[in-house]
Amino acid sequence: MNPREFFINPADYGLPTRDDLVAYRIWDNHFHGFAAKNPVEQYERNNFFVERMGIERSIAQEVGGTLDEPFAPYPYDAEILKILERDKARLSGRTPIDPTYPEESCAKIEKWIRDGPCIGIKYPGSDKKGVTCSHPNNDPIMRLAAELDVHVYVHTWLKVGGMPRLPGGGNGESESTPMDLAKLAQRFPQVAMICGHSGGDWELGVRAVRPHKNVLLEFAGSDPHSGMVEYAIRELGVDRLVWGGHGPSRSYATELGKVLDADISKADRMKIFGGNLRRITASIFRKKGMKIEP
Amino acid sequence: MQPIDRRSFLKKSLVSVTAVSLRGHQPLAAAAQTAAPNAPAVSSSPTPGIIDTNVNLFNWPFRALKYRDTQALVAKLKKHRVIEAWAGSFEALLAKDMNGVNARLAAECLEHGPGFLIPFGSINLAWPDWQEDVRRCHEVHQMPGIRIYPGYQPFDLDHPGMESLMRMIAERGLILQVVFGMEDLRVHHPIINVGPVTFAPLLKAVQSTPNAKVELLHFSGSSQGEDLSLFMTKTNTVMDISRLEGNGAVGRMIGTVQGLPSARVPVDRIVFGSHAPYFPVETAILKLIESPLDVQQLQAIMQSNARRLLPRA
Repeated sequence: MNPREFFINPADYGLPTRDDLVAYRIWDNHFHGFAAKNPVEQYERNNFFVERMGIERSIAQEVGGTLDEPFAPYPYDAEILKILERDKARLSGRTPIDPTYPEESCAKIEKWIRDGPCIGIKYPGSDKKGVTCSHPNNDPIMRLAAELDVHVYVHTWLKVGGMPRLPGGGNGESESTPMDLAKLAQRFPQVAMICGHSGGDWELGVRAVRPHKNVLLEFAGSDPHSGMVEYAIRELGVDRLVWGGHGPSRSYATELGKVLDADISKADRMKIFGGNLRRITASIFRKKGMKIEP
Repeated sequence: MQPIDRRSFLKKSLVSVTAVSLRGHQPLAAAAQTAAPNAPAVSSSPTPGIIDTNVNLFNWPFRALKYRDTQALVAKLKKHRVIEAWAGSFEALLAKDMNGVNARLAAECLEHGPGFLIPFGSINLAWPDWQEDVRRCHEVHQMPGIRIYPGYQPFDLDHPGMESLMRMIAERGLILQVVFGMEDLRVHHPIINVGPVTFAPLLKAVQSTPNAKVELLHFSGSSQGEDLSLFMTKTNTVMDISRLEGNGAVGRMIGTVQGLPSARVPVDRIVFGSHAPYFPVETAILKLIESPLDVQQLQAIMQSNARRLLPRA
């Protein structure tokens, strides 16, 4: 089937058509196209859905290493770099780092952002040594991010668990909570940061990052809950929200539904779907000689 | 991008249109578009109304949901061309007076959506004399089915009453909806400690009552080995799409996504379910748009499979 071939008209079901989605100028803040045993094959296959759902640009979360092993040589790096160049009109990348190793992290940022194609830093939080994003190890990384004027994406969750059983008590050893991110944001208010997954538990995640204007909240990689976007707009303002598809493990349908559920203006929808992300990445794209329409 | 082969596309559409007759059809506002290489194409196929087999009424215990008001929910569903919604009750999760839960559900459906909201009462296998609740659901409230919420209701599917429930359901011609989850386990309120529901015992129960009508609600599709495929070999078993996740998930489940493993569930066993008002209803409809599905597949999932399970005038 052609990706632009549809057998029902979304407008007849109260939903945007593909043309409408394209007009929203959707930037996918959270793309896992390269997270697979065969990342290139998965990336190419997923392009069917990128095309079908009218996604304008995807930000890959794993460029230069993987989320589990951000510093290990990755055999697909060369191929991924070629794809980044070939598809630069619709694909960008973040490079994963690990604050357990601040020197290696800074070296990686130099290689993949200052001297390479990446436009952001990704904190996966997958390490086992208990260093979250609030640890002092992060400070040199943040100073470098400020110097490069590049944003920082932090995977955050609040998994319920532990004893006593509480949100965050079930997190991995190095998995940051939105409260960890709030501490980091307070120390580095000049760095734009993204609270990944809305903290997993968005009702609590919003509360944690609310005071810190340099933190944006991401809707991606958690279940779609009716009313969640409107709640975040009320508490944070629409200028602090970004959208991610989290594909291919999550569905664009799941993630788009969160924003389409909200009774908001087209202008506000466009901010969430991409405008806010374009705002915080404008500087780094400019440095790389890429002109991005706001 | 390759231009669309419009001739074969329309031929396929027209064949299916003449083969089915479904409620809620209207011609598309726009006729088939000329297939320019970069233009999206929408066929001149009908627009079947949707039977949503998975909604719940009243209050979710942990948050005031946007569409918690039944009138607002009905209006929202109708806005998205839902023509019928099978409704359970959030009250069934934690209540002990199941008859009170079911009576309120029946009254609410009648008041705000007669013929539109179809009440599915609940019973709790862990409570004594649940058999009387089955009888009342069927005989007093005239409900076509029962919805159980294992986990929130303190039993798993290996409960000794399960096979007996299955027999009662089959004898009365009711539909049994088995809910495999309500929300991500990772974001439960700390006071709730609900584990995952075990699928395998349900397969055993349905094997002993092969004609029972059983629907899996909010089922992720993950099950050990061939359990799901075996389950779907029974005569009246279906699953809804509300928990299917990943790009093209519905298509992957029935085998229409190229380059991925073949179908695990035949298309005639997939029904629409939104999990509204907890999930946005938009999400489930978008899954159908996102997946590469043809006219017949869409019509089957949106309406005719559910209608086969629950024929109504």
